Amino acid sequence: MLEVKNLVTKFSSVVALDDISFTAQESKITTVIGANGAGKSTLLRTISGLEHATSGSITWRGKSVLGMRAEDIVRDGIAHVPEGHAVISELTVEENISMGSLFRRRKFKADVAAAQDEMYELFPRLKERRKQMAGTLSGGERQMLAISRALVSRPKLLLLDEPSLGLAPLVVEQIIDSINILCRTTGLTVLLVEQNANTALGVADHGVLLALGKVVADRPAAELRADANLRAAYLGY
Amino acid sequence: MRAVSKAKNHSIARKSLRRTIFFVAAILFAASTFDAYNQAQLALVLILFIGVLSVTLLTGISGQLSLGQGALMAVGGYCMALLMSNQGYSLWVAIPLAIVGSALAGLLLGISAARLTGPYLAGTTLVIALAIPTLANRFMSVLKGDEGLPVDVGYPPVWFTNLLGEPSYEQWQLYVALPFAAVALFLASNILLSRTGRMWRAIRDNETAAALSGVNFSRQKIFVFVVSATFAGLSGALYGLRGLVGPSVYPVSLSLLLLTAAVLGGIRSIFGAFIGTVIVVFLPDWIDAVLHQFELSEQVSNFMPALVSSLLLILTVVINPAGVAGTHPHKHK
Amino acid sequence: MDTFLAAFFSGTSRGAIYALVALGLVIVWRGAGILNYAQMGQAMFSTYIASTMITNGNSYWLAFVVAILVGAVMGVLLDILVMRPLSNKKKTELLSSASMRAAIPVIASLGILGVLQALAGIIWAAEERGFPAPYAQEGFTVANNVMPFTSFDVFVITVVLSTLALTSLFFKKTGVGLAMRATALNSEVARLSGIRTNFTRSLSWAFSGAASSLAGLLITPTSNLSPNTLDLVLIIGFTAAVVGGLDSPAGAVIGGFLVGMVISFVSFYDTPEDVFLAILAVLILVLIIRPRGILGAKDARRV
Repeated sequence: MLEVKNLVTKFSSVVALDDISFTAQESKITTVIGANGAGKSTLLRTISGLEHATSGSITWRGKSVLGMRAEDIVRDGIAHVPEGHAVISELTVEENISMGSLFRRRKFKADVAAAQDEMYELFPRLKERRKQMAGTLSGGERQMLAISRALVSRPKLLLLDEPSLGLAPLVVEQIIDSINILCRTTGLTVLLVEQNANTALGVADHGVLLALGKVVADRPAAELRADANLRAAYLGY
Repeated sequence: MRAVSKAKNHSIARKSLRRTIFFVAAILFAASTFDAYNQAQLALVLILFIGVLSVTLLTGISGQLSLGQGALMAVGGYCMALLMSNQGYSLWVAIPLAIVGSALAGLLLGISAARLTGPYLAGTTLVIALAIPTLANRFMSVLKGDEGLPVDVGYPPVWFTNLLGEPSYEQWQLYVALPFAAVALFLASNILLSRTGRMWRAIRDNETAAALSGVNFSRQKIFVFVVSATFAGLSGALYGLRGLVGPSVYPVSLSLLLLTAAVLGGIRSIFGAFIGTVIVVFLPDWIDAVLHQFELSEQVSNFMPALVSSLLLILTVVINPAGVAGTHPHKHK
Repeated sequence: MDTFLAAFFSGTSRGAIYALVALGLVIVWRGAGILNYAQMGQAMFSTYIASTMITNGNSYWLAFVVAILVGAVMGVLLDILVMRPLSNKKKTELLSSASMRAAIPVIASLGILGVLQALAGIIWAAEERGFPAPYAQEGFTVANNVMPFTSFDVFVITVVLSTLALTSLFFKKTGVGLAMRATALNSEVARLSGIRTNFTRSLSWAFSGAASSLAGLLITPTSNLSPNTLDLVLIIGFTAAVVGGLDSPAGAVIGGFLVGMVISFVSFYDTPEDVFLAILAVLILVLIIRPRGILGAKDARRV
């Protein structure tokens, strides 16, 4: 499981994460919700190593990943899909997916091809567009590609940052469904950051509500969903 | 929209004047204690100081990296030399005219370069720095190619010798360079403290914000180039006064020398420009003093100053980019 | 007609070399975001080493290979010792300005160029020395006609074209090539994919160093070797890269041949003295008419 304790991340004088503590259970979907600027993306970026934490601890399955380089954290089984369709537009679909499994080629040579095939099964639209440049894909397809790039590294923990951003509701539903299925069938642990709290809480097991860098609530998703006061105060609905 | 009152302008001028007077006094004092060789070095410092100021204004204050200041110096030098040898003007007329010539060159440069940034600007100015000296060979008849144009600095005027006695060659060099350096210092200080300086700094720090706050920055950018070119041209003219104006006098390495001096001393301040010039001019002497004991071949000692100053440049940029004068809290950076 | 052919072939063979130089510049520009003005200084240094080896009796080919390896190693050292510390610097006040952040690596690379030239002077003195070519530099004689190109020209073109072909294959087909391309295009996504971007960046530097050393070896036989001879090559390479598009390796190659042709024709039909001005004219023309270059992307990184 992922344990975050007293995490503080600062950007010069701005405190983005103010003493954050929570736990994400194995094989469950934990969602981090909250308004814009609450620190959700910073949280994921700190976990995945793109940002440096000022203090606190982050442990994944008992191993501390605080201070490790992002490219090494990936090798420990944590994959991060940053917000904004993190694919490389000037590379093809195939290259984007293959990029995610480059570091596994030495140790898991046989599995690399299998993993890539699984991605094409999960997202058949990508299979059709294998040789196309990623920049020519639609928004939804790019998001699928971004997720595939992350999944092909066979992570045990998936950090998803606002997968619904800029996508039509139907597409969002498809993507969230796929993630859900993936979690339930393979035991993947998911940390899902979402602005669309309703959707997120609908699929998650647990919810962490952030506001201005602090944890305001840390409860089973169903409870959070039911708490009208909290929703009105922090989520606006 | 004169946002700055006349009073403010006066106080800026007063401040600059104070600095200039202090500067002149310090130089004169130092000169009186120096031997002839060091007096000549000091004169060289004053001459190059003006050139380094052109880098400080262009790069340190408004963030445009130009590697062609040496070429602008050449323009100033050639203007002066041509006016003196072809037209027979005295240096006191030729030099101001040379300054005008350099301003024009700066205008041309500014117009073509204003759209460029970063490596494009640096690369283009480097190409210019290499291309301009070849003009000397192209127009052999007028510019006399590699041979160059000899310049005669002439004798001190009678009123001068009556007042202060006959100066030595080195002292005369100092006395010619000092007033120009003082004027350059005064003007540079004025610019830095004024609204213009603020606009230039705004351009350097954040072009988008500067544009949004109403700074007509393409016009200002061109203006920066013109001002910087006048400083460089003056420096180049004085530099040529030492006897010869030719491609060998203004090689590409001169541009790099100015840049090195500016960076080493502190690219954002006048004080830094001066310190940097002192370092760059006296470095060969200091190295010589240190290495004197080791019997090194001429090969090594010829290139040591270049090696040391390049190493210092790298170290400065990597460790303390603000240079010697650097991050000392200046009210107006 | 003779002049034309001579100019054409000279343009092709020189153009090939400039294409290499431009390619080296573009690889580092894409891979590390820096325009490496010291590149031809590295080339000069490794060519000197080759020259010394040859003078000491080693075979040309051994010296050739060593020079290229030295170039690669120098590139990596440059990255590790200077460029990486530079980019890791915490944001000081000076560095908060975007234009200073862009200017500082340029200044650093100029400093490195200065060091290399001074070192070359110290070690080998600044006398010009010749550098041998492995093949004859006189024109081919076929059926009693002297052809306007030499066997050395053929060698140059063959070497450069095969290098370009191999490079292209490397980048398109291998995993390391993909990693390098990914790092150059979006280093954050690359890191999140587990790519060790520090390593791939150093590889870009190594490649660029090797390419420029190769260019140096190929061009010195026709000029002389001294600490400053390759300065001109650098600005030609820079112009070629800008013409082709600073972020396009293919563009760099095209730019190299184009500029090579321009220079050659100016040299043959006008006078060699006008070459600098011609280069300046080409550069300014491109920057005014199509600043992104022939193959550069529209929204390419500008600074």
